[in-house]
Amino acid sequence: MPYSVGVMIEAVGLSKHYGATKAVDDVTFTVQPGMVTGFLGPNGAGKSTTMRMIVGLDRPSAGHVTVNGKRYAEHRAPLREVGVLLDAKAVHTGRSAVNHLRAIGATHGIGRTRVEEVIALTGLQSVAKKRVGGFSLGMGQRLGLAAALLGDPATLVLDEPVNGLDPEGVVWVRNLARHLAAEGRTILLSSHLMSEMAQTADHIIVLGRGRIIANAPVADIVAKSTGTAVTVRTPDAARLAQLVASPEVTVTTTEPTLLIVNGLTAPQIGELAAREKVVLHELTPTVGTLEDAYMQLTADDVEYRSSNEGI
Amino acid sequence: MTTIAPAPLSGVSFSGILRSEWIKLMSLRSTIWCYGILVFLTISLGLLFGVSIGIDGAALDRDTAQTLAVQAATVSVSFSQLVIAVLGALVITGEYGTGMIRSTLTAVPTRLPALFGKVVVFGATTFVISLVAIVVSALMSAPLLAGNGIEADLTDPGYWAALVGAAGSLTLIGVFATAVGTIVRNSAGAIAAVLGTILVLPTIMQIFAAITAAEWVVNLGAFLPSNAGSRMYAYVSDAPAMDPFGIGGLVLEPWQGALVLAAWVAGLLVLASVLLKRRDA
Repeated sequence: MPYSVGVMIEAVGLSKHYGATKAVDDVTFTVQPGMVTGFLGPNGAGKSTTMRMIVGLDRPSAGHVTVNGKRYAEHRAPLREVGVLLDAKAVHTGRSAVNHLRAIGATHGIGRTRVEEVIALTGLQSVAKKRVGGFSLGMGQRLGLAAALLGDPATLVLDEPVNGLDPEGVVWVRNLARHLAAEGRTILLSSHLMSEMAQTADHIIVLGRGRIIANAPVADIVAKSTGTAVTVRTPDAARLAQLVASPEVTVTTTEPTLLIVNGLTAPQIGELAAREKVVLHELTPTVGTLEDAYMQLTADDVEYRSSNEGI
Repeated sequence: MTTIAPAPLSGVSFSGILRSEWIKLMSLRSTIWCYGILVFLTISLGLLFGVSIGIDGAALDRDTAQTLAVQAATVSVSFSQLVIAVLGALVITGEYGTGMIRSTLTAVPTRLPALFGKVVVFGATTFVISLVAIVVSALMSAPLLAGNGIEADLTDPGYWAALVGAAGSLTLIGVFATAVGTIVRNSAGAIAAVLGTILVLPTIMQIFAAITAAEWVVNLGAFLPSNAGSRMYAYVSDAPAMDPFGIGGLVLEPWQGALVLAAWVAGLLVLASVLLKRRDA
């Protein structure tokens, strides 16, 4: 395997099976430095499992994943290579925040100065000496981020970092992630908040049922998935629906005078309507959102779907 | 492509891991409670033994006097080993219960140094604290015994060997529990398994020995961890006292007891290491 310059995280054929369940199924991707890469997918899509395999907590059933060219465990100073926030509960509840960070840092010879720095950076000064058991979810996340930043790592792997944070905290994490990426670091973060992803990530890897559904820049994913929908309002809806009908075009109707057309552009529909003398009241190309794109991409890949049957 | 210039910074080292485990051990209340109870039990039971045991009339032979003096300092061990067993299990199962283990294993992804560091720090701390407590208990109970007509010879190396053996036995029982905790990964389960092995198994074996009067049952019982451990702080000449049912059978020498218990600990640590290395965390 040639070492690719600029690739920080590289997963090749990565799989994790639990009995017959394929939590992660033959996943291959790279994560580049200098940008925020979002890991997106419904619950049970395999995001957390993949992240756990990156730092060697879970052993892959097949394939491998490297960070900066080596398996995580092969690094001499793993905490200086990768900072990881997997869940905020990787802390002994009976220990104070400062002792937790001192204990983790001590393994790498990271001393009190750096511990105080990350405590200040994550805004934990007022609770640093309190036992972690009494922390709110948000404070737990901040402590998890403090631990991830302890080794000043070139790569950060953050699983749901904004989970449980207040709005101010969410903005803070977003700015922190963007700032760290701008410094040239590699940031891989997962979130179930699509709007969050749209504002934070440059590049998105979408997982569904353990497989990669999409792997592209944010803008591409939005454009590709929803760029061709056009909303048409006309009193002659039934006739227009017949006129546009073709194998490449899908038409959905939610009101008697409203059509949503996929597969034709707004100009094509407008010209067709003018030719056939169909009156149009509205002709609007739909601006796709990441949320729409995501729902569309993962529609077939949701493991735990809320059922509307029988209503 | 922008890259972060790696500064010449320190990596994982075993001394760093030892320091980390020391911070972990000393920053939890359960540690302070367990060691506090150990020291209190050791000294208070030694004093109680010192004031309550005495002889009337004829002077004791030297071996009996030495045996009683050792017992005064170590009478607490059968209780304090339960406390140390609980603490020994908690130092690892507390990490599994809270999720701390994931922080530990991401900091030390080769895993085994983290377990060995924990064992070294916990074992050394337990040995030093229990040895100090036992020696203090010995020095306080000896004058009390002397006042009751039991004159111990404190220049006897066998006497001190027994005291060191008691601290060693406590340490090995503690590490035994840490190994079981690493295998079981659950506080309640590990504590139940270890206390079952220390408390219940010897009693069952004793009942079995009394019923069957079979020598092989006694011999087998001698190899149980707590029975082997208790031989580590037996004063060398008190061997006949260990034959309550008159069946005869094997009585381990203190060093043999130490080897048997150490073998238990080593075997379980090997199993714990294999499982720690292999399992997902």
